[in-house]
Amino acid sequence: MSSRSTSLWVAVGVLLLLAAVPPLLVPVYARLTPELWGFPFYFWFQFLLVIWAAIMTSIAFVISKEATRRDRAARAEQKGGLL
Amino acid sequence: MSAVAFSVFIFLFLLVTVLGFAAARWRKAESMANLDEWGLGGRGFGTFVSWFLIGGDIYTAYTFIAVPATLFAGSVTGFFAVPYTIIIYPLIFVFLPRLWSVSHRHGYVTPADFVEGRYGSKGLSLAIALTGIVATMPYIALQLVGMQVVLDVMGLKPNSDNWFMKDLPLFVAFVILAAYTYSSGLRAPALIAFVKDTLIYVVIIVAVIYIPHHLGGWGHIFEVTKQSFADQNAAATAQGLPATKGTYPAVGVSQWAYASLALGSALALFMYPHSITGVLASRDRSVIRRNAALLPAYSFLLGLLALLGFVAVAAGIKMADLGGNAQLAIPQLMENEFPAWFAGVAYAAIVIGALVPAAIMSIAAANLFTRNIYKAFFRPDAAPAEEAKVAKLVSLVVKIGALVFVLAMDKTFAINLQLLGGVWILQTFPAIVAGLYTRWFHRWALLLGWAAGMIYGTVVAYQTPGAVSKHFGGSVHNFPGTQTGIYIAVTAFLINLLVAVIATFVLRALHAAEGVDRTVADDYVVDLGDTGVQAELNPL
Repeated sequence: MSSRSTSLWVAVGVLLLLAAVPPLLVPVYARLTPELWGFPFYFWFQFLLVIWAAIMTSIAFVISKEATRRDRAARAEQKGGLL
Repeated sequence: MSAVAFSVFIFLFLLVTVLGFAAARWRKAESMANLDEWGLGGRGFGTFVSWFLIGGDIYTAYTFIAVPATLFAGSVTGFFAVPYTIIIYPLIFVFLPRLWSVSHRHGYVTPADFVEGRYGSKGLSLAIALTGIVATMPYIALQLVGMQVVLDVMGLKPNSDNWFMKDLPLFVAFVILAAYTYSSGLRAPALIAFVKDTLIYVVIIVAVIYIPHHLGGWGHIFEVTKQSFADQNAAATAQGLPATKGTYPAVGVSQWAYASLALGSALALFMYPHSITGVLASRDRSVIRRNAALLPAYSFLLGLLALLGFVAVAAGIKMADLGGNAQLAIPQLMENEFPAWFAGVAYAAIVIGALVPAAIMSIAAANLFTRNIYKAFFRPDAAPAEEAKVAKLVSLVVKIGALVFVLAMDKTFAINLQLLGGVWILQTFPAIVAGLYTRWFHRWALLLGWAAGMIYGTVVAYQTPGAVSKHFGGSVHNFPGTQTGIYIAVTAFLINLLVAVIATFVLRALHAAEGVDRTVADDYVVDLGDTGVQAELNPL
């Protein structure tokens, strides 16, 4: 991790936490109302969480690519400097 | 069952059989006689292939039978499979690229290979390998149980008391699976996974649209289910039994169980040798991360599938009609509601859905045995060709073992062991995942922590009574010192960590030998194109 990529990796971490933590907060969504298309809240909310997590992870992936690119550039420079 | 359904089933089964054998020629390498090719498919799968392979790996036939079955049976925590498969992907995103990198640079095929290289401890590596093998065996057996259930509902059960004749269809399917796994290695399940997932997607999407439409819509299905469970609870209370049925975890205690089952299962899942095999077979780090973003499509599907358990309740399927076996609920629903030809497609989807993970699991177990037992302890000089030969034979032995398991023993035994398997495999987490970041833990402390977690988990699972059995009755047990039940694997994991931390301090104070770390920091971040990481290992 180089200084140029640190903030990007922090963003990746936050996005992944936003994906992984909500499913664990069971008391928040263990209720039957409001219903959506006949589905109790408990069920449709967890389907929504699947989509939410997929979006968060996708954004994290895009950011991680850029962060990785910067890390590799930094590593290449370092190696070049040593020669 | 009609001739139409049977013909469709046989046609699809023959199709995947041909694919399984043809897979040996797919992405052909110079030589198949090494574990990188046979056991990891050449380590070159891109995003597309990996999506099918890892998806085929995680969402098994047994999942498709068992998850809706638990909802059908009125378990309030049954839907935990959905949060579980949400949490998995951020974990895969974070941890597995590091394991991929270090495995690529050092030629590791199994997680136990990595542990050996990192800690210089054959003992710890053996513990990881044995845990992986014993946790995988019942998992394979359960795939066969899934197949057996479908073959039963199809009426493919010759009237005979002879155990061999009775299960002849299962036996035939199994021999074919064993043969193409032997000849094609990981390429076979990778190629068959395309057919499997396409069929599963079609069947489930049709099922969740077509059947509820027939039964009066989803709102009606939830209403009927709620009423049915309320009636069953009232009947139970009248007999002085506890009222346990419901559609969701309404009270705090069951919510803890729900969250801990989801978290514990997610942490355990990617410790299973077969999921690591699927991930190590990918071409580069971004294939893994991109798939972490794409694989949740399966979780959505799994949630819909789980709800078919309620659909079965609303369709009037009663536990008593199924001989008390909830697992028959979904195949029975398909038999009752689908036109014959489509029921054939559905049965084929489930059976093929069992073949793919069973093949990957037996390959993963064979890799572990070959690398971390045979080579580590008996033949340190084994050449790659010898490794591949041994692994191919072991994959047969593992599958025959699973078959004997299912045919000779009580089915509940396999289910109990599968429950224990989840508890056991999570105990390898500290050694593998902590090892990806730090050498702080002492190797023997990790071994002690592992032993503590294994013993605690096994004993407590044994002491947990269920509705019909005195032992191995469930995955949830009171957290020590509380009245709150949580997933046994999670408690065992916390004990494991605690012991490992304390023992590390003690061993360090005693200056116990640390062992040689053959990896360097750079190994954990290398990607395709860096030194020592090739795209194709044995290009033709």
